[in-house]
Amino acid sequence: MVAKFLATDALADIAAAWARAYRLLAPVREGQAVVYRPWAKDMHPFLGRPPTVSAKEALFPQTENLLTYTYRKDQNDLTRTEVFLAEPLPQEPTVLLGCRPCDARGRKLLDRVFLERGVKDNLYEARRKATIFVSVACDRLENTCFCHWTGGGPTSEEGSDVLLFTVAGGYAAKALTEAGERLLAALPEAPAPAQEELAAKLASPAEPGPAPDLSAAPQAFLALFDNMDFWMDQSARCLSCGVCTYLCPACSCFNITDEPSGMKGKRLRTWDTCMSALYTLEGSGHNPRVSRAHRLRNRVGHKFCYHPQEFPAMDKKPGGQPEFSCTGCGRCIKACPVSVDIRRIVHDILEKGGKP
Amino acid sequence: MSANPYMPMLGTIVETFDETPDIKTFRVVLQDEAAMRAFRFQPGQVAQLSVFGTGESTFVICSPPTRMEYLQFSVMRVGELTHRLHTLREGDPVGIRAPLGNHFDHQAMHGKDIVFIGGGLGLAPLRTLLLYMLDTRADYGNITLIYGGRSPEHLCFKAELAEWAARGDMRVELTVDTPDKLWAHRVGVVPAVLTELAVSPQNAVAVTCGPPIMIRFTIMALEKLGFTDEQIVTTLERRMKCGVGLCGRCNIGGKFVCVDGPVFTQAQLKDLPQEF
Repeated sequence: MVAKFLATDALADIAAAWARAYRLLAPVREGQAVVYRPWAKDMHPFLGRPPTVSAKEALFPQTENLLTYTYRKDQNDLTRTEVFLAEPLPQEPTVLLGCRPCDARGRKLLDRVFLERGVKDNLYEARRKATIFVSVACDRLENTCFCHWTGGGPTSEEGSDVLLFTVAGGYAAKALTEAGERLLAALPEAPAPAQEELAAKLASPAEPGPAPDLSAAPQAFLALFDNMDFWMDQSARCLSCGVCTYLCPACSCFNITDEPSGMKGKRLRTWDTCMSALYTLEGSGHNPRVSRAHRLRNRVGHKFCYHPQEFPAMDKKPGGQPEFSCTGCGRCIKACPVSVDIRRIVHDILEKGGKP
Repeated sequence: MSANPYMPMLGTIVETFDETPDIKTFRVVLQDEAAMRAFRFQPGQVAQLSVFGTGESTFVICSPPTRMEYLQFSVMRVGELTHRLHTLREGDPVGIRAPLGNHFDHQAMHGKDIVFIGGGLGLAPLRTLLLYMLDTRADYGNITLIYGGRSPEHLCFKAELAEWAARGDMRVELTVDTPDKLWAHRVGVVPAVLTELAVSPQNAVAVTCGPPIMIRFTIMALEKLGFTDEQIVTTLERRMKCGVGLCGRCNIGGKFVCVDGPVFTQAQLKDLPQEF
């Protein structure tokens, strides 16, 4: 298939054209950060580096409405009040522009929870079906990147509908799904030099370097579960701020709260974080994860033990690693105010828990 | 497309009364009569009760599936939602998502002696199974209830305790930590009574629920009496939100209390990472 072409100077026009047919979330610079914003006139999509936030908000927004309720007086019995419930509005078809292969792989990990674990989350399902991911392949790895540890890579196609490759003058676009093909239909074919550059890139992609074998991580984690000295050491610097969970493409825990406004209101779902002491605090005062050590243990355990145990053989290549709930995007490392490094923790788990 | 798993059914409170100074019982029917007739659940399953504008919390349905005139919930006033619930009266609307979670395996208990060991509001999940068994009495062997509380006024379901003791086809042993002048039963903690009664593990199942510390010492006492891990059944509490295994917070290792529990055998609990 011949790649399509997005010229750098035509990018804003292309985005504007997509925004007429879809809700478009485009990456823009805000201060030091690169964040996704709904398309607005005069916006400049910025594809120069991985966005600061993960792409999960396109499928699993930070705040969303689960239902609305309204209290009304019962006209047949004025001593009583009735309540009426309404479903949230349907999802608009959406294009998410400018995520990276690690973010697109996060889509699969969210599917595991919201679609494959048991009860399906209809709100996620609807958004999932209506969202097109346009990812940018990475030319180089940052020093926080470790996608290749967890089964990904800088040009991984998993989870993307379109993959863009940076070439002279713009982006060569490869459609990976039918939805991606439809999105690219109106665009011109890439000129010959761009095609050649793309072919060369595909032939020799960015070399991510060696990756440790993490196959033993689930067992090693369990071996260390009760070793609180280990977890105290690992979490000593953690502030419980939760930024690691909010920026993670795979973290999907949420809270449910009511937001009343007079006689009506919304029941909202918001991102939550297992790093917070309140997350598991029970009404009685009992808290099963009373310290930062317990909470960090849960986060690492979920990603490198509970998830692979829950979804054991899926996508497991012969001799390959289990699937972890981590795409190696490195945002938790980059954003952590005290530089907790999950690679270091996994490394220590393998080192200390992997031996009999 | 799937249905919205967060959308509750609407219910109406038909009766409410105090059990103790801080525990209130609510009897609720679904507003849709056909849905109420079609509603099925198993003893031990839970519900998410909503007060719209305040939120949702998880409570066991403490009436049995053999008595479907209403669904009963007994609620201790501890947090925001339960405070708000306690202000509701007959006729007030609530939301209900149910049934959720697993249940007591009463089939596997057929023909066995059943020992219920409860403390405080921990009697609520036991009540649904006990009433179910009393309603299908011939399926079970001897039934014993050992129930304790801080003081006589802190015991739940007081009228029924007397009724059960008078039935003649089950044994009821009551105990409190602090008796009053009228108290005519035992004094002391539940595990001590269990040990004193020397309940036999022979062809028996022990079902226990109460404060975590009571459960811990009860299980130790049961083990001393010779009960195996498979013969000890308990229910766990965890802070919950979604109730359907999605929101993540009630996990113990890779299990979710809201869908894989709340009922576990001691054998199952021993297989989990110890984080209770």
